[in-house]
Amino acid sequence: MPQNEYIERHRKLYGRRLDYEERKRKREARAPHKDAEKARSLRGIKAKLFNKQRRNEKIQMKKKIKAHEERNIKKKDAPAPEGALPHYLLDRDVTSRAKVLSNMIKQKRKEKAGKWDVPIPKVRAQADSEVFRVLKSGKTKRKSWKRMVTKVTFVGENFTRKPPKFERFIRPMALRFNKAHVTHPELKATFCLPIIGVKRNPSSPMYTSLGVITKGTVIEVNISELGLVTQSGKIVWGKYAQVTNNPENDGCINAVLLV
Amino acid sequence: MVLYNFKKIVVVPPAKDLIDIVLSKTQRKTPTVVHKGYAISRIRQFYTRKIKFAQQTLHDKLSQIIQDFPKLDDVHPFYTDLINVLYDKDHFKLALGQLNKARNLIDNVAKEYVRLMKYGDSLYRCKLLKKAALGRMVTITKRQGANLTYLEQVRQHLARLPSIDPYTRTIIICGFPNVGKSSFMNKITRADVDVQPYAGTTKSLFVGHTDYKYLPWQIIDTPGILDHPLEERNVIEMQSVTALAHLRAAILYFFDISEECGHALEEQMRLFESIKPLFQNKPLVVVCNKSDIVNLNNLSKEKRSVLKELENDENIPVMEMSTANNQGVMEVKEEACERLLSYRVDQKVKTKKIDSLLSRLHVAQPVPRDHKLRPPCIPEAVLQRKQSGERPVRAKKLERQIEEEEGDDYVLDLKKKYDIEGDQKYDVIPEIWEGHNIADYIDPEIFDKLTELEQEEELRVAAGMYDMKLPPMTESLKEIRELAMQIREKKFLLKDEALINKQCTKPVIPRTAPAKSRGRSVSRLKNEMEDLGVDMEDTENAHFTKTKKRGRSESRNTENKRQRVDVSRARSNSRAPRDEMGVANDEMKFRLKNIAHKAISKKVGPKGLKGEADRFIGNKMPKHLFSGKRGVGKTNRR
Repeated sequence: MPQNEYIERHRKLYGRRLDYEERKRKREARAPHKDAEKARSLRGIKAKLFNKQRRNEKIQMKKKIKAHEERNIKKKDAPAPEGALPHYLLDRDVTSRAKVLSNMIKQKRKEKAGKWDVPIPKVRAQADSEVFRVLKSGKTKRKSWKRMVTKVTFVGENFTRKPPKFERFIRPMALRFNKAHVTHPELKATFCLPIIGVKRNPSSPMYTSLGVITKGTVIEVNISELGLVTQSGKIVWGKYAQVTNNPENDGCINAVLLV
Repeated sequence: MVLYNFKKIVVVPPAKDLIDIVLSKTQRKTPTVVHKGYAISRIRQFYTRKIKFAQQTLHDKLSQIIQDFPKLDDVHPFYTDLINVLYDKDHFKLALGQLNKARNLIDNVAKEYVRLMKYGDSLYRCKLLKKAALGRMVTITKRQGANLTYLEQVRQHLARLPSIDPYTRTIIICGFPNVGKSSFMNKITRADVDVQPYAGTTKSLFVGHTDYKYLPWQIIDTPGILDHPLEERNVIEMQSVTALAHLRAAILYFFDISEECGHALEEQMRLFESIKPLFQNKPLVVVCNKSDIVNLNNLSKEKRSVLKELENDENIPVMEMSTANNQGVMEVKEEACERLLSYRVDQKVKTKKIDSLLSRLHVAQPVPRDHKLRPPCIPEAVLQRKQSGERPVRAKKLERQIEEEEGDDYVLDLKKKYDIEGDQKYDVIPEIWEGHNIADYIDPEIFDKLTELEQEEELRVAAGMYDMKLPPMTESLKEIRELAMQIREKKFLLKDEALINKQCTKPVIPRTAPAKSRGRSVSRLKNEMEDLGVDMEDTENAHFTKTKKRGRSESRNTENKRQRVDVSRARSNSRAPRDEMGVANDEMKFRLKNIAHKAISKKVGPKGLKGEADRFIGNKMPKHLFSGKRGVGKTNRR
């Protein structure tokens, strides 16, 4: 009964078949032709996937070749510019006045922009017909004063539904979200944080009060997990974040923290 | 019977392949065409199906992996330990656990997105939701990449493990490296283990099988172990330790008394002492190998004294053996097997089961009913022959004996004892000839029958049965015969024609059609009549030649047109009723009526109709015309 490393053992005892090397060489030599044939004959999604992978491979290969070539060529140092300083004078204050200037300009611009400078300044307005679906009610389904929200909403924890007679807006359970993936732009890290509330939906104040979350909505998130501290040493727990995706299409809320 | 078969585990694909498999399967096995104009519920259903299908496929694949791998708590402790030694129990469990977790996560994702899909209000939104769902499932799978590759490696290694049955009769060979364990294994089994002159050739457990007392025995060759504490042992050594610790087996401890393995006898003794706890409650045999170089008797005194302790112990037999010249190999095997067998029987007797077994056993000892002796009856001749010790001589020589006598000249002749006389028995007779089984046609009395028939025929010939005299041909007879021939031929042709006409499904030209289109012409009439033997000469002016000419009719002559003189016209013949058309006389009319009546009653009777004019509709609402929607096509098909 074959057991343990029987393949290696057999190879050691009897060697490979005599034309093994030859076949291997030929197979390798034929491989590009086979790939080309495949690329030509594939159709549909398979062709798309295959060609994408092939393209990536080619790019990688070219990059590698380039890197090798660069290594071989000795680069000439750039000729010294006019009025260059000798190295012992380099760390005098003549250097980066320009840098200071540009920094100042940036600072000023920032101040000018005001407090509500958000990552996504312009958002497409959401029409009522997009956000609400009309529900027919009444015994003969003649009345149509009820609306169902078809976008993602945030509903507070202690919300109780009104009796059906008075409930004009229905927010379905499946579309209620209470967590968001929030990216800290400086830390370049993303956290899944609980939502505290909807601060502002730019489309309409009614959406804000209903808690509708669409792209560009500013929400308040609980960042106590991050452990950020205020200047006075208190832990910050609520911060605003702007939604950057269409939650109703993606099934999740992505947001950028407004720092 | 294989209790633990780890070869059956299905290949674990790497994460990338798994994703490709699942996505392509989803693409292949779910519908692919959807349009904006479809009802929204249909669109939702279309995409929900995709999500669910992908989830189910992934779930199945992961479950398959999780189920296939052995559960460490369920398998024999030997295997649990072996897996722990080889693959690290924690890592193994963690990998499977994480796969399980991933499976749950995927299920949840699918559930969540199916729920969201219910509120999708456009094809675009549904499509994006599907995309997001598949993407999340794929991401979860991708994170399992490391686990999947680890499990694949484990699978490959597990499949190559020797299939050790922990419950059968087993003999374990252990000792220092290079003391000749594997050579012994090769001697008593057909395992073909690698044997090399350096230490540490065997790096894992090997299994071989041998027979003793008609029972199969399992021999396990272990890698050599060195004498150091358990914590310092490496993976290779730990395998032997697990085998020693968990298998209920006879143990052969190998000493190399020639010390050629590079370890002094004292060292080997020390190792024996240190792993002695593993031998407890197991039959043990100490084997001194390589006795072809040095045997126990001409060992120096100091060395001998090392083994003294063992030799004094009565429970442990010390045996000499040499795998080089096969001395004592069989004795060692037999001793070990004997000891294990008796040990196993002892163990069995000690268990509770033995009582129930013993109570079922009964040895019957018949009581003699009287004092009469009933010895076996052996014929006198047989007894005599037995006493004289001579063997009975066969009357006929066996083919084999003939072969032995003749040697190379012998030719096997299978046909020589056939019952057929002479050379005929060597005739080649096929069994089947032209599709007939020859045996079916064999008649033993065929020749008798043939001669009988021939005689009969001769008699008949002699009696003049076959001399017939033809009457002489006369002129009139010839004529008659010729005519008869003609008639026959004509009849035959007519019959053929009628047959062809009957089969023809082309529309029939009605009798009311103009004569020309029906192929009725004067020349044809003449021909046909001539064929029938009517003399058609002098008929140029016969009335049937007066047919209407083609082209403008004479009556429409312009001159005639003007000549409108009031002449009273005679009443034209009205057309005969259809059923009287072409009917010559009353008799024929009556006959036709009868025929028609019969034909109609044939059609009407079975359907229960009132008459010919009674309209019969078999199926007033044929299903194929009244079910489903009418498309753009015609009313009579759907």
